[in-house]
Amino acid sequence: MGYGRSDSYRVATSQDKDGKSSPSKKNKKGKDMDELKKEVPITEHKMSIEECCRKFNTDIVQGLTNAKAAEFLIRDGPNCLTPPPTTPEWIKFCRQLFGGFSILLWTGAILCFLAYAIQAATEDEPAGDNLYLGIVLSVVVVVTGCFSYFQEAKSSKIMESFKNMVPQQALVIREGEKMTINAEEVVAGDLVEVKGGDRIPADLRVVSAHGCKVDNSSLTGESEPQSRSPDCTHDNPLETRNVAFFSTNCVEGTARGIVVCTGDRTVMGRIATLTSGLESGKTPIAKEIEHFIHLITGVAVFLGITFFILAVCLGYTWLEAVIFLIGIIVANVPEGLLATVTVCLTLTAKRMAKKNCLVKNLEAVETLGSTSTICSDKTGTLTQNRMTVAHMWFDNQIHEADTTEDQSGASFDKTSASWAALARVAALCNRAVFKAGQDQLPILKRDTAGDASESALLKCIELSCGSVKQIREKNKKVAEIPFNSTNKYQLSVHETEDPNDNRYLLVMKGAPERILDRCTTIIIQGKEQPMDEEMKESFQNAYMELGGLGERVLGFCHLLMPEDQYPKGFAFDCDDVNFTTESLCFVGLMSMIDPPRAAVPDAVGKCRSAGIKVIMVTGDHPITAKAIAKGVGIISEGNETVEDIASHHTGSRSANSLCSLMFPLLSLSDAKACVIHGTDLKELSQDQMDDILRNHTEIVFARTSPQQKLIIVEGCQRLGAIVAVTGDGVNDSPALKKADIGVAMGISGSDVSKQAADMILLDDNFASIVTGVEEGRLIFDNLKKSIAYTLTSNIPEITPFLLFIIVNIPLPLGTITILCIDLGTDMVPAISLAYEAAESDIMKRQPRNPTRDKLVNERLISIAYGQIGMIQALGGFFSYFVILAENGFLPSILVGIRLNWDDRACNDLEDSYGQQWTYEQRKIVEFTCHTAFFVSIVVVQWADVIVCKTRRNSVFQQGMKNKILIFGLFEETALAAFLSYTPGMDVALRMFPLKPSWWFCAVPYSVLIFVYDEIRKLLIRRNPGGKWLSLSLYNI
Amino acid sequence: MAKDAEKSTWKDTIWNPSTREFCGRTASSWGLILLFYLVFYIFLAGMFCLTMYVMLQTLDDHKPTWQDRLSTPGMMIRPRGDTMEINTHNTESWDMYIKTLDNFLSSYNNSLQAEKNDKCPPDQYFIQADSGDVKNNPKRSCQFNRSLLQECSGLDDHTYGYQAGKPCIIIKLNRVIGMLPGKDGKAPFVTCGAKKEDSDKIGEVAYYPENGAFNLMYYPYYGKKAQVNYSQPLVAIKFLNITLNEDINIECRIISNNIPPGSERDKFAGKVSFKLRINTKQ
Repeated sequence: MGYGRSDSYRVATSQDKDGKSSPSKKNKKGKDMDELKKEVPITEHKMSIEECCRKFNTDIVQGLTNAKAAEFLIRDGPNCLTPPPTTPEWIKFCRQLFGGFSILLWTGAILCFLAYAIQAATEDEPAGDNLYLGIVLSVVVVVTGCFSYFQEAKSSKIMESFKNMVPQQALVIREGEKMTINAEEVVAGDLVEVKGGDRIPADLRVVSAHGCKVDNSSLTGESEPQSRSPDCTHDNPLETRNVAFFSTNCVEGTARGIVVCTGDRTVMGRIATLTSGLESGKTPIAKEIEHFIHLITGVAVFLGITFFILAVCLGYTWLEAVIFLIGIIVANVPEGLLATVTVCLTLTAKRMAKKNCLVKNLEAVETLGSTSTICSDKTGTLTQNRMTVAHMWFDNQIHEADTTEDQSGASFDKTSASWAALARVAALCNRAVFKAGQDQLPILKRDTAGDASESALLKCIELSCGSVKQIREKNKKVAEIPFNSTNKYQLSVHETEDPNDNRYLLVMKGAPERILDRCTTIIIQGKEQPMDEEMKESFQNAYMELGGLGERVLGFCHLLMPEDQYPKGFAFDCDDVNFTTESLCFVGLMSMIDPPRAAVPDAVGKCRSAGIKVIMVTGDHPITAKAIAKGVGIISEGNETVEDIASHHTGSRSANSLCSLMFPLLSLSDAKACVIHGTDLKELSQDQMDDILRNHTEIVFARTSPQQKLIIVEGCQRLGAIVAVTGDGVNDSPALKKADIGVAMGISGSDVSKQAADMILLDDNFASIVTGVEEGRLIFDNLKKSIAYTLTSNIPEITPFLLFIIVNIPLPLGTITILCIDLGTDMVPAISLAYEAAESDIMKRQPRNPTRDKLVNERLISIAYGQIGMIQALGGFFSYFVILAENGFLPSILVGIRLNWDDRACNDLEDSYGQQWTYEQRKIVEFTCHTAFFVSIVVVQWADVIVCKTRRNSVFQQGMKNKILIFGLFEETALAAFLSYTPGMDVALRMFPLKPSWWFCAVPYSVLIFVYDEIRKLLIRRNPGGKWLSLSLYNI
Repeated sequence: MAKDAEKSTWKDTIWNPSTREFCGRTASSWGLILLFYLVFYIFLAGMFCLTMYVMLQTLDDHKPTWQDRLSTPGMMIRPRGDTMEINTHNTESWDMYIKTLDNFLSSYNNSLQAEKNDKCPPDQYFIQADSGDVKNNPKRSCQFNRSLLQECSGLDDHTYGYQAGKPCIIIKLNRVIGMLPGKDGKAPFVTCGAKKEDSDKIGEVAYYPENGAFNLMYYPYYGKKAQVNYSQPLVAIKFLNITLNEDINIECRIISNNIPPGSERDKFAGKVSFKLRINTKQ
C-alpha cells in the first residue's frame, strides 16, 4: 500500500520534461490529487512572448479586451485560493464529543441506560443508580467535550487574527488602458504591471522588467530576492527568471507580465490544494488512548463475563446477571479520567503558549514530546531571515562581523584606514535607506527600503560607523549607475568630504571578480599598493573561503578622480559613460549571509542530546544550506559530509567542487553527514532514500520542492519516526500537514502554512520547539502518573460490587460515592500530577519508542489494579467491617444477609447482638459505610498520589515540592469532610457523618501502600533493567 | 510483506515458539509473577486478618459500640405486610395469617414461659447490673405469657378473630440493648388510629394487654448472648367494628415520654402503618 503511494509521489517529483501536462490538461476542472502532486506544469516560460500572447488571445501592448477578460473570468472563476474546506463548527464539536476517550464513556452511559431499562421493565421500584450513573457519564462527556471544544476554538481564534484581511489590488492593462482592479478579477492572459512592494497577483510570464526582484522565500525558501527578466534561464519553471509567482512579493523594480495561471491553478494554489487534500494521521496520544481503551475494555469485559458466569452459577436469574454484567463493565470506566487528561493537556498547552508555542490541537501537546525527528526549514526558522554582513576582507585578512541579533558577538578591529575606506564605499555605493520614523528602534530592527544585501550593508555601516545619512550628506552624489546583470556592478560618483578637495570620488561595488578586473591597485593598511599576482592569489583564496561559507560576496573599490580630467562641475553621463571605470583601487570584500538565530545552535544541541534527529530541508542552495547547517550544529563540527570526503578524494577543495553535489552518494555511506540536492533526491529509489535516512545522522536536503519535502517526511515516518516539521512558507505546508506535528511560524509564516500546522511558534524561534519537546515529554510522563493514580481507585470501587454479588453482603460502596471519588476527590490530585517536576533530565534521554513505550501498559494496569488497588480495597473493606461491627453487625453475620438486608418489608432484622433494625435504620448504617469506604479511599489515595509522583525515585529524593499536589491532598480531604459532615448531605447524596475514629481505619493501609511502593522502587533502582523490572510501571 | 511480519508478531505475542514465550513471557517468568502475586496476596490477607482481629478485640461482647441509629426503636406487626386483605367467607384469604400468628406465638406459650423465664415484679425495670468486671451472666428474663393477649392469644379463638371480621394484629417494639423506654415509671404504650380520611371508619380498637402498654419489667434488654431466653413483649390490637369492604389505612405509634419521634423517612421507627380491608361479600 505504502509503496504505491510513495511511488506516485516519486513520479510526481520528476519534472515534466516531456511536456506531460499539456495546457488543455491544466484547464481541466477536476482537482486530481495525483495531478497536484506533480511538479509545476507551467510551460509558458519556454515559449516566446508572441507564442504566449497567442495562447491567451492577448496583446503585448493592449492587453485583453474587457469582453475577453469577462469571458475568462467566467470560465476560470475568480483569482483567489479556494479556502480549504473548513470543518463546520458542529462537526468539530461532535469530534470533541465522540472522539477517543469519550467513546468509552458513551458506551458506559448507554450500558447504564440499558441496565436501567431492563430494571424498569422487570422491577416495580427500580433502583435509580444506573439511571443516575448514565446521566452523570453523559454530562461528564458533554462538559469535557464543550471544554476542549472551547479551548481549541480559542486557539483557532488567535489563528484567525493572523489572516490578512486587506483586499489585494492589481494594476492590469486592458484595451490599452491601465486600470486598478481587485486582484480577484485578474484572469489568465491579463497584462499586469507590478512594482516594488506589490504582491504578485497571479502567476506571471514576465515580458519586460526593470531591475525587478521578487522574494520567493515563501515558495522556494530562498532567502535572497531573485531578479526577474524576460529571458528563460532554466527549464524548471520555479527556477527560471521569467516567471513570477502568485502571492510572492516584488521587492524592487518594475515588471510587466502576462498572467498564465490564476487562483487554484497557480503554483501557490496547487500547493495549498495539495495541502488541504492531505490526510494527517492520528496523533501519538490518540493512539495511546486507543490502546488504553483496549486494555481497559479488555479488563472490564473479562471481569464482567467472569462474574456474569459466577452470578449465573450462584443462582441469580439471567436478567439479574445481565444487570451485574453491565454494572461491572461500567464500574471499570474511569469517569474522571477524560476530564483529567483534558485538563492536563490544557494546562500544558497554556504553559506552552506562555513560552510562545501556540497549540491548535490539544493532542498535539504531547506529540512534540514523542518526536524523534525534526525536519526544519532553514529560512526564518533556523535563520533570522535577513541578510547580514558576516565577513569582510581587507588588509589581506578576513574579519568577522557580528551577526547576532543583539549585537553581543565579537567585533573586529575598526582602526584600520582600509576599513574606513571600505565603510565609505559601502555607505555611498548603496541605494538602501532606512524608512522614516524609526529613530528610536535599534538599528537591526529598523525597516529599510531597498535590496536585501544593500540593507545589510547599510545596517552594518550604521552600526559600526554611525549615521550613513550624514556620510551621504557630506559626500553628495553626483552620478550613479545602478546594478544590472550585464555589468554586474553598481557605481556612483560623489563629492568628497573635504570642501577644499575638488576631486570626485568614484565608488563601485559588485561581483568580486568583475571588480578585481577593473582594479590595478589595492589598499593595504590605508596605503595604495599595486595589485600583484600574490595579492590576486590571496584575493582568490578569501573569495573562495567566503563563498564556501555559503555567503554572498561583494567586492568594493574606489577611485579619487584626478581633478585635471574631471574638474568640479564635470557632467557625468551615466547612460553613455564618459568617465573612467578602469584602473580603480580595490578596497575589500564584504560577504553576507542570512545568519542563524542565536538560540538555534543551543537548541539543536539540546535536540541532539534528547535523541532527536534534526534534518534541514530547504529550498535554498546546498552551499548556503550546508553553511547554516554547520553554523547551527545540524552538521556537527568535525563531521564530514559525503561530498567533503569526495572532494578529499579528488584532491581539490574548490568552491566548484561544492557544487558538484551530484556525486554518487551511496558509495560513501561512511560519512555521518550528508547534503542532498533536490535533483539527486528525485533519482533516489525508496530503498536508497530509507538508507540515507537510516544511515546518516546529519542530513541536509537542499533545493527541495514542496512535494519532495512531503516525500522526506513520509520516508521518516516509514522508518517509524514521529516527525515534526517546522516551516513558514507555502512550500512547507504539505509537509506540515503530513507531519505528525506541523510547526508553523507565527510572525513570518504564511497563512497556508499556519492553516496546515498543528502548532505555531509565536516568536518564530526554533528554540521554542525545544521547550515544546520538554513540555511534551513531561506531560507524557505525568499523564502516566495521573492515569496510574486514577486507575488505582477503580479496584476499591469495583470489588464492593463484586463481593455484594458473590457473598451477598450489604453493598459496601454505592454509585454516588463512586462518582464522588472519580469526579470529586480524585480530580485535583490527578491533575496536580501534571505539575510534577521531571525526575531526571528528560532532555537527556531518547525519545520514546511508540511501539514499546505505551502510555498505559499491562504492567501499569497490573500494579495499579493488582497491587496498589488491592491494598486500597482492603483498606476500604476494613472501614466497612469496622462500622458494621461497631453498629452490631459482626462480619460473621454479614455473609448472605443481603436478601433480608435489602428487603423493605423486613423491619426487624436482627444483628449479632440480638437488636432489631428497621430497613431505614440499617440503610443509614449502610450509607455510613459507603461514606466511610469513600473516606478510606481518600485516605489511601493520599499515599497513592505520593507514590505516583515518581516512577523510580524515592519520594525522599524527589521531595514534596509540587504545591498543587499538596493543595490537592488538603482539597480532597476537605471535600471528603464536607461531603460527610455537611447537614443535608444525608438527604442529598445519602452520605452520613462519620465518627472521628472511622477516618483512621484505612491509615494502616495507606502506610502500607507507601512503604510497599518505596520498597518496590528501591528494588528497581538497585537492579536497573533486572528481574524486578516487571514490577516497574514504566519502560524507561 | 509487511503484513506477514505483522501477522507473525501478533501470533507471537500469544505463543512464541522460538523463545517459548506465552504472552511475551516465558513459563518461568509467569511462574515468578504468579508466585509473587501469591506471596503478595497472602501477605495482604494476613494484614487484613490482623487488622480485623485487632478491631474485633476492641468490641464489647454484649453491647455494640454505637447505638445512635437505634434511638427510636422500630415497630413491626405480625402478621407481616403492609396490606392485609381478608375475606371472612374465604378461609384461604386468612389461613396463612393464622398460621403465622400461631407460629409466632408458640414461643409465648404459658408453659414454655414458665419453664424458661421468671416472674418479675411488674411496672419496674428488671435491672441486672454487673458488679464491676464480674459479669452477671446469664441474665434472667421475664415471662410474657401468651394468655396476656387475651382475645388475641389464639387460645380461645383459633382464628384470632379473622373469621369474624374482627382481626387481631400483634405489634412488637424492636429490641434495642439497654433501652429503657418510659421514664418515671410510665410504661410506653401503643395507640392505633386511622389516617385522616379513614378516622371514622376504624371503629373501636381493643388493646391487649391493657392500654396496649409494654410493661417496664421487660426492659432493659441485655442482648442475645447474655439474655438468651428474652421474651419480647407484645401488644395485640383487635378491630372490633371496623368498616367493612373498604380500604382503611391504619397507623400505630408507640407513645412514650423518652422515645424521640423517628425521622420522616423511616416509616417504621416508633410507628407502623398498614392497610386493612375486610371483605364480607362472597
